[in-house]
Amino acid sequence: MTPDTGTASDCSLVPDLLPAQAEGWDSLRAAAREALARQELPTKRDEDWKYCDLAELRRAAFRPAAPASVDIRDRILPEARGTRLVFVNGRFDPHHSCTSALPQGLRLLPLHAASEAATRLGSLLKPAESDFFANLNTAAFADGAYVFVPKSVKAEAPLHLLFITVGEDGGGGEGIPSTQPRILVEVERNASAELIEEYAGSSPAFTNVAVEILVHEGAELRHERIQREAPEAIHISNLRAEVAKDGRYHSRTVSFGAKLSRQTPQVRLTGPGAEASLDGLALLNGDQVSDTHSVLDHTQPHGSSRQLHKCIVDDQAHAIFNGRIFVRHGAQQTDAQQQCRTLLLSDSARVDAKPQLEIDADDVKCAHGAAVGALDPEELFYLQSRGLNAAAARNLLTYGFASDLLAHIPVASLRRSLRQQVMARTNAADLVETP
Amino acid sequence: MSQSLQAVTGQEYKYGFVTDIESDSVAAGLSEDTIRFISLKKGEPEWLLAWRLKAYRHWLTMTEPAWADVHYERPDFQKIVYYSAPKPKVAKYASMDEVDPELKRTFEKLGVPLNEQAALAGVAVDVVFDSVSVATTYKAKLAEVGIIFCSFSEAVREHPELVKKYLGSVVPFSDNFYAALNSAVFTDGSFVFIPKGVTCPMDLSTYFRINNKDSGQFERTLIVAEEGASVSYLEGCTAPQFDTNQLHAAVVELVALDDASIKYSTVQNWYAGDKNGLGGIFNFVTKRGLCKGRNSKISWTQVETGSAITWKYPSCVLIGDGSIGEFYSVALTNHKQQADTGTKMIHIGRNTKSTIISKGISAGESSNSYRGLVKVMPKADGARNFSQCDSMLIGANCSANTFPYLEVQNRTAKVEHEATTSKIGEEQLFYFQQRGIPSEEAISMIINGFCKDVFRELPMEFAVEATKLLSLKLEGSVG
Repeated sequence: MTPDTGTASDCSLVPDLLPAQAEGWDSLRAAAREALARQELPTKRDEDWKYCDLAELRRAAFRPAAPASVDIRDRILPEARGTRLVFVNGRFDPHHSCTSALPQGLRLLPLHAASEAATRLGSLLKPAESDFFANLNTAAFADGAYVFVPKSVKAEAPLHLLFITVGEDGGGGEGIPSTQPRILVEVERNASAELIEEYAGSSPAFTNVAVEILVHEGAELRHERIQREAPEAIHISNLRAEVAKDGRYHSRTVSFGAKLSRQTPQVRLTGPGAEASLDGLALLNGDQVSDTHSVLDHTQPHGSSRQLHKCIVDDQAHAIFNGRIFVRHGAQQTDAQQQCRTLLLSDSARVDAKPQLEIDADDVKCAHGAAVGALDPEELFYLQSRGLNAAAARNLLTYGFASDLLAHIPVASLRRSLRQQVMARTNAADLVETP
Repeated sequence: MSQSLQAVTGQEYKYGFVTDIESDSVAAGLSEDTIRFISLKKGEPEWLLAWRLKAYRHWLTMTEPAWADVHYERPDFQKIVYYSAPKPKVAKYASMDEVDPELKRTFEKLGVPLNEQAALAGVAVDVVFDSVSVATTYKAKLAEVGIIFCSFSEAVREHPELVKKYLGSVVPFSDNFYAALNSAVFTDGSFVFIPKGVTCPMDLSTYFRINNKDSGQFERTLIVAEEGASVSYLEGCTAPQFDTNQLHAAVVELVALDDASIKYSTVQNWYAGDKNGLGGIFNFVTKRGLCKGRNSKISWTQVETGSAITWKYPSCVLIGDGSIGEFYSVALTNHKQQADTGTKMIHIGRNTKSTIISKGISAGESSNSYRGLVKVMPKADGARNFSQCDSMLIGANCSANTFPYLEVQNRTAKVEHEATTSKIGEEQLFYFQQRGIPSEEAISMIINGFCKDVFRELPMEFAVEATKLLSLKLEGSVG
């Protein structure tokens, strides 16, 4: 691969997407603009973008996506029938959204209608500390979602945020249609909720997401993140979460779509006894590139974290994983475990994995592991000895590799649809019955 | 922290003496003239001077690497003495008796007996003092089987064709900042050539010592093992105690042809600076082995206990089909030491294998990082790697980091990396004490158990030394 040597001045992201006048959060947006003026589109010379080529973003022209009409029937999750927000091409779609089944006090709103969110927004993705894409989002986002779970409320139904990018009414115009969704989630003391954040699309698009999550004392948030954008799309996502004392944050990111997707989840455990998990599954073929750069930051004692990241890489696809675990000075009794497993299915598939441990406390239990390999010939042989042909054996093992990550998704309809998608990709559909 | 343990941590650096030998030095500073001076002084051929100057000019265009997880004041390259040789500088000593008695005493203190009957139970030693090689033992005996083991300068004089062929073939001068600097100003080092089919009858060994206060040490080691040859090479390092930082930027190149094997062991105990991080050696070393031939094997074993800063990644480039690279490392840091060390395994040929075992122990306020790369190129069918990196933290103010890079571009490759972090538990210590073993001994035993996988790779006398060194360095750290 040739090094990406262009400079940021070639990149038209900022001039194309920064509106003359953005609504609300004036001082925050001003700070982001100011930071952005000093920042450039990252290149491969930046250690954080070493394996990820953004040449595509440098060459193209962009414009905010225009409105479109869409049919979302097959994307509705029955479990979240009355707890759903839908955004089409970056705009809130009141027609398809439904929030009739929310528990009392729980707020699930488009951001433009959530005045109370104003103070918290930008508290984790501070412009001075954020990267180019996060600041671009802060300066330019048009809308997004605000989720507020008040004290001690246990939300039974999952909250579904659906962001769709489709071909525009009237065909749009020059440049890649772009959306910049923004999400702020706050789970108050002892509350709990299940959040599904889903991106879907059927046309080329650039999506630049920024998510901020605050999990307060004793609260719990389970977060499913599904990325099924169009194969030509570019998906960039920045997530920051803070988990207070005895709080729990469990997230799982499943990436199927986009030719280039980048996930940057960073979770900080800010109180003692906090718990977090950051799981991920990327299923890649063609010339897809999926890049995950995660951070789990233990700042207080007695925290625990788990991370399991799996990639299945076929054709000329390229998977990148960089998982950092920090155990700060004084974060004694931390228990952090990280695993990254990659299955290479083709001769030109490629993976770059870099699990990292940075430990400044002595009384901790930390381990990480990374493994890269092909399907085990012995396992293939075993299945063939049971009468499966070679292709079926391969498909079944590939499906098996992915399925344990999906098995724990609590929302049945989502679990089923993801399983089907994995099966369709691995051609294992004719072998496995969906439970 | 127990009193007795405390007392031993304060242990003085045993090798911190200065030998009062008049030395023949060039004034501090670096320019093309310095390089011409060094080259002239050593009576080098024209091509070598040209190569040095090319390296120097390239070095001028480079900037110091800043990616390692180490923090220090950048050395001032104009304040370093680039050539320092013990006087009187006779071309070469005819026998051991001619070596300056003061110098001999130094090495006796270091435990490197120069006289032949006491020579480390059959180890041939090449001693590099500051920058110049002073004596090589057992030379004649080795020459009988066709092995060349001599100082680098001698090799340049006597075997220029070999030096010319292999110098820079593994670590080109343009490789990195310190390799370029070394290529420009290197003053001596060791040269080993094992001809076809010969198994070296004894372990070869070099002791490096920096004696002059302002001198840097820039030695270059080149080991070539021809088809079917094999050799085991040991390297030891010490330096006197000064409160200024000294730079050590060495380059080691290994070449293994078909079916050859090279085992390279290092016990590095450069002066590490005092408790407050004052003084100590900056150890910025480029070590690389080239498994050029089929079924060749290169094995690195290192015990890193000294140096204020260590920046060192002994690597293997596995070109030959079926070649094997190994890296066994114990890195111990205490007080304010910083180590960023690891390896690179580049799999290019088919069915190449590599093993990485790294044990990091950090104590005091030190920082210890493992940084390693395993790269499998698209043609490396059947490549196999196993890495295990364990860290042990002693005390709440040190840090242990692991940065493994895994880059795999071949489906049939199998790459595994595992890392764990642990401490010496109260319960473990209690168990030992309950069996009547005092905690100091218990710690030493636990550490030795932790490092067993690496120590077992060391040649016998090194293993004994390493074990002692480790307990010495750590005493007083656990309480």
